[in-house]
Amino acid sequence: MSVETATDLVLVMVILLDLGMLTVSRLATTVRFFALQSLLLAFLPLAAATFEGQAPGMHALVIAGGTITLKVVLIPTILLRIIRTGEIHREIEPFIGFTASVLLGAALVVVSFAITARLPVPREPVSNLIVPASLSTVLIGLLTLVSRLKAITQVVGFLILENGIFIFGLLLIEQTPLLVEMGILLDLFVGVFIMAIVVYHIRREFDHMDTHLLDELREA
Amino acid sequence: MTLTVLLLLAVPLLFGALCLVLPTSGLRLSALVAGSMTHLAVVIRSWTSVERVAADDLLGTDPLGHLMLTLISVLFAVTSVYFVGYHRKRLISQRVFLACMLGLLAALSMVCLSQHFGLLWVALEAASLAATPLIYFRLGARALEATWKFLLMNSVGVALALLGIFCVALSTTGVGEPVSLTVLELVRGAESLDPVWLRSGFLLALVGFGTKMGLAPLHSWKPDAYGEAPPPVAALLAGGMTLGAFVCILRVVQVCSAAGLAEFASFWLIAFGLFSIATAAVFVVGNNDYRRLAAYTSVEHMGVLVVGIGLGVAGSYASMLHAMHNMLNKGALFFLAGFLWRLHGTNRISLVRGTISRSPVAGVLLLGTLCATCGLPPFGMFFSELGIILAAASQGQWWVLALFVTTLAVVFVGVMTAMLPVVFGDPPQAESMIATTGTEPRWRRGVMLSAAAVLLGLGFGLGVYQPDSVRRALDEAAQSIARPQAQAIAALEQPEVHP
Repeated sequence: MSVETATDLVLVMVILLDLGMLTVSRLATTVRFFALQSLLLAFLPLAAATFEGQAPGMHALVIAGGTITLKVVLIPTILLRIIRTGEIHREIEPFIGFTASVLLGAALVVVSFAITARLPVPREPVSNLIVPASLSTVLIGLLTLVSRLKAITQVVGFLILENGIFIFGLLLIEQTPLLVEMGILLDLFVGVFIMAIVVYHIRREFDHMDTHLLDELREA
Repeated sequence: MTLTVLLLLAVPLLFGALCLVLPTSGLRLSALVAGSMTHLAVVIRSWTSVERVAADDLLGTDPLGHLMLTLISVLFAVTSVYFVGYHRKRLISQRVFLACMLGLLAALSMVCLSQHFGLLWVALEAASLAATPLIYFRLGARALEATWKFLLMNSVGVALALLGIFCVALSTTGVGEPVSLTVLELVRGAESLDPVWLRSGFLLALVGFGTKMGLAPLHSWKPDAYGEAPPPVAALLAGGMTLGAFVCILRVVQVCSAAGLAEFASFWLIAFGLFSIATAAVFVVGNNDYRRLAAYTSVEHMGVLVVGIGLGVAGSYASMLHAMHNMLNKGALFFLAGFLWRLHGTNRISLVRGTISRSPVAGVLLLGTLCATCGLPPFGMFFSELGIILAAASQGQWWVLALFVTTLAVVFVGVMTAMLPVVFGDPPQAESMIATTGTEPRWRRGVMLSAAAVLLGLGFGLGVYQPDSVRRALDEAAQSIARPQAQAIAALEQPEVHP
């Protein structure tokens, strides 16, 4: 199997996982789907380097390693721990129902492909699916963010969004200094860590984590 | 990277670390003041020998960043003094709080100094992470809600901005050899950038950083966060953090105007700006919470800032002037809001009356600050807003001018009708109110009011008389936004200017 085919396959699975995440109601499953998606993504920098005709360098290896450490191990562990210690395990009655959100998600994937057709990539990338996969993941992440009620699911939505941007970053892997890549990963980790703390406080304060009940602050 | 740049980042981090380990509250507060004062001293010293930025520098003091850095540093120095008077024992954890405050200063300094788009993003995200615990200062349900909204909206906004930066980066790949993503490199090679990707990048960056800056319709976290955060933190966010996000937008604008997309950028900047001012006008009228009211005036002033940038060199100059006075004004406004809150124990405008008879100094200062906020002469915002009106007139953008003036007038009426009774009205007779005033030691009140007086005085002074050095700094920054090529050429001609 060539590098191109493997990359295409990975990206298709990433899009399927996006849609899959819209169907599940168990919070823990959503987090596991996210971890799986990140694991798939961690191989892409290596594939991109191989496509350029060189052995995966230090840069690609560090990004892959950092992604696995943070997005596959640390962040899911933190989120699963929060879910395990609470009473709430399921997303119940989201703003947009599960079936509707999958249909909407599929529509977003179509939209992403349509947009990509109008945006020519300047240089031949490792896979033509990179831009549409990235856009679909970003849009589905946003959809998860706005349509789900539990704080944890919203955090996962943010992480999916971030994964989409990561895919897009593959087009630029040579241009971004390693320092900046590490900074981005670190910021992401600290961000999720703080979000987890806030979720924990929300649960302790309100005995729930439904963010739509956070509506005390508004114009009188 | 030079010593100055290193010091600007290291000083706040070092004192922040000190705040974590020092044993007593008094020592930690002195570390806060010492840290921000040292930072200010380094910034002032850096003006004596300005170093030119080389094309491949990741960090450096270019005219725009240097100006914003100075503004942010002044605000932090005054706020740290105010905080000494304001603070009470019931903090989340004073160590963490003070360390986060200095961390925010370090992150914002890095935003101003960053010449590389990736680094710029990392710094701004770090700033919003450092600010999150500051908003959660008071604990409890309301603060938690504000913190969650701030955190989530800003994270998503900044993530979209990252996508925008990637789009800008992608526009360079058609050129041939990979270009490094520094502002100067991009400006220099601007003609060969792919316009489609640059446009998408600009829009995503404007939306993303605009969320952080608080441009409508992405401002909804702002009244909550500013209303629930302790007033000194709100001052830092409204006067400092917004400028950091503004710098990020301006960096992308620099690349766009070098690439000949100035008209495209102007259209969207003006559209977002006018919409922000209009939104602020709608929510200011009839608002019954003076801290939320102050937050909406911040939305308004962010709108004024970006409208100015959309109106060429003259508009950019006015916008830089406005950035300076916005910092001074938002600082003073939130300092006084904190004082009022201590004096009356409520946020509700309808319950706060007759400040001037209970504390004449605070009343006069509040009146002055309100006039400054609304852009009455001789305060600086009058001149910056007038500059924007003149710039719009000289470009023949009559619709922009008309909308700008009308919405500003509505905000003026809204703020004044709400707040004048707070200054003058008849003080309430309830005994509980009087009881709350006596508890504050005099020195605390003195510190709080003098911090506000310093900022208000600066705003007044710089409105009446503008020294040449200030004018030159503002002008250079404005030139570098509207005509970034000149700066890039200068850097190319003299690559080795390191005295």
